[in-house]
Amino acid sequence: MSSKINGNVSPQQCPHLLDFRSRNGSKPFRALQDCIRVKPPGGRAAIRREPSEVPGCGTCEESSRPRLYACVACAAVLCHSPPLHSHASTHALSNPGHEIAVDVDRAELFCCVCRDQVYDRDFDSAIVLAQSINAIATATTSTSGATAMQCNVAGSQPENLRKRRRVDYRPWAPDSREHVIIGNHSILLHDATNASLISSTELPRGLRGLNNLGNTCFMSSVLQALLHTPPLRNYFLSDRHNRYYCQQKNGAFNGTKNSILCLACDMDAMFSAVFSGDRTPYSPAKFLYSWWQHAANLASYEQQDAHEFFISVLDGIHEKVEKDKTKSRSPGSGECCIAHRVFSGILRSDVMCMACGFTSTTYDPCVDISLDLEPNQGGSGKSSSAKSHSSCNVEADCKGSNQNCGISTLKGCLERFTRAEKLGSDQKFFCQKCRVRQESLKQMSIRKLPLVSCFHIKRFEHSSIRKMSRKVDRYLQFPFSLDMAPYLSSSILRNRFGNRIFPFDGDEQDASNELSSEFELFAVVTHTGRLDAGHYVTYLRLSNQWYKCDDAWITRVNDSIVRAAQGYMMFYVQKMLYYKASEKQAAS
Amino acid sequence: MKHSVNRPPTPDGAEDQGKEPTLQEIINIKLIESGEKERLMELLRERLIECGWKDEMKALCRAYIKKKGRNNVTMDDLVHLITPKGRASIPDSIKTELLQRISSFLTSAAL
Repeated sequence: MSSKINGNVSPQQCPHLLDFRSRNGSKPFRALQDCIRVKPPGGRAAIRREPSEVPGCGTCEESSRPRLYACVACAAVLCHSPPLHSHASTHALSNPGHEIAVDVDRAELFCCVCRDQVYDRDFDSAIVLAQSINAIATATTSTSGATAMQCNVAGSQPENLRKRRRVDYRPWAPDSREHVIIGNHSILLHDATNASLISSTELPRGLRGLNNLGNTCFMSSVLQALLHTPPLRNYFLSDRHNRYYCQQKNGAFNGTKNSILCLACDMDAMFSAVFSGDRTPYSPAKFLYSWWQHAANLASYEQQDAHEFFISVLDGIHEKVEKDKTKSRSPGSGECCIAHRVFSGILRSDVMCMACGFTSTTYDPCVDISLDLEPNQGGSGKSSSAKSHSSCNVEADCKGSNQNCGISTLKGCLERFTRAEKLGSDQKFFCQKCRVRQESLKQMSIRKLPLVSCFHIKRFEHSSIRKMSRKVDRYLQFPFSLDMAPYLSSSILRNRFGNRIFPFDGDEQDASNELSSEFELFAVVTHTGRLDAGHYVTYLRLSNQWYKCDDAWITRVNDSIVRAAQGYMMFYVQKMLYYKASEKQAAS
Repeated sequence: MKHSVNRPPTPDGAEDQGKEPTLQEIINIKLIESGEKERLMELLRERLIECGWKDEMKALCRAYIKKKGRNNVTMDDLVHLITPKGRASIPDSIKTELLQRISSFLTSAAL
């Protein structure tokens, strides 16, 4: 039973619960507070009158019943396993006012007359708080780790959470009239008619080397990944940003020195060139020049950081996009420009005051997730920047509790990313309820997944304290398929607390996130060598084959080479978009 | 708990003298008191998730709720629905593992 309150779906309270609340004052569950026991290993909450109580049914004296309920009104513990034994129901029916009970092993409210689970915010808050406090106390020793948050959404909802209606996929084929139109306006690729005769040794369409223009492997590696990012590729190849039309609109087509810069136009030009069928290496000089103009501080022939370049390019595409006033300019909604439509997701950050339990929740867009490989020696802790366009930095241990514990994995890093972290005494957070700075617990989770997830491994450490930089060469294992479901806000919070009330946006958002939480790896940017003298290479996965893109040289390689490579940036695309056609290389 | 609650009348001691606790009861209490039951439950939860049993049960519940309508289903309905199927579909390996754990516990507890 549910109803919408301010856009949040909360379970409707059964009449017996409402009745109970009205008769028992402002804190109807106060008596239960002392009976909440949270025990490792699972950190689950149970209800026990005494710590060592072995609950059993007061009527049939059996403790081995699967479901035991304690009446909230009189503390009687009774069994409930219909249709054979339900002394709890008997109790409820014969004692008015005693309908509400609590499952002693799950700490969940139940109405013995409606025979259904019921939810109460105050009750759930108390449970969640008890679990969190317990988790903090055992944080250093327990491996089951983190915590939970009572979620009172302090701010308003992010603007893009109006539900996007899912439209079912309908396959399309051109009719005869459309065929003619297509024929008249396309330039057939050289080998289009011989699609079935393409030998397995030929490279797939769109693979073209990029010439190094002077330490520009940082650029060619990222460009290769972008050129083969499915949604981005489709956008440009289907002429959604026409470079001729755009420049004309901006009035820059007179060839003056002050032609307006548009990185998207240069990208469009590059896509056309790379997918033209010409196999000779392409020189992205125009793109480099435009990018220099956009990122003046990085304009030099020195080696740059590939990740920095990536962020800068997305930023450049965003800034110079046609300013369409009807569209939202917020990156979070993904409607401002193609760069954000493809890469922008939303992270949720919950900060809970350890003293009173009040939680402040914020949502921030991000275009990628930066992960640490080993504990931060500088000790500066987590800092999640709230600016839009920026990647979110996160501290992550290697999997396991000590440093030499085995192979680091991407999943391990993500688990660390979404684990709750205690903000130390030097980072006290201002609690709105306590009106004072308090020690807090912070937990990140993913509110909305982007179409393409980019994971950036922080291998380059710049320590201003020690005035040195170093590179972390440690190997990171990354999967070819990745399910992001465990890192979603809904999963993180629900798995910690079971069936509690949380201000989610209803089940629909959940369901759509769950459908599309599977991702496939399609590009890996790797770095070899030292910090000051190194080389970037990109591996691309096309038609389920891997290709090594080393500046102008493209070669096919085995899976194992890719798995063994030192991943610096990994690009995953939502599986739903991982077109079947790309597995079969069929002309269509 | 509050002391001034409306407690039901304490069960008459005399009535229950004749009732012997069953072996199942005794074992259950021993398991709980030693904390072993909690550990076994965690192990079981882990195993059932790993082998996909939990997802299967979840799917069954979802299908049922979709059919009946979200507002027409109670928790008891769902428990009634999945209990027989759930019990029947537990993999033998899990049963064996747990039985083995319980068995060694009983040996060590010298029952």
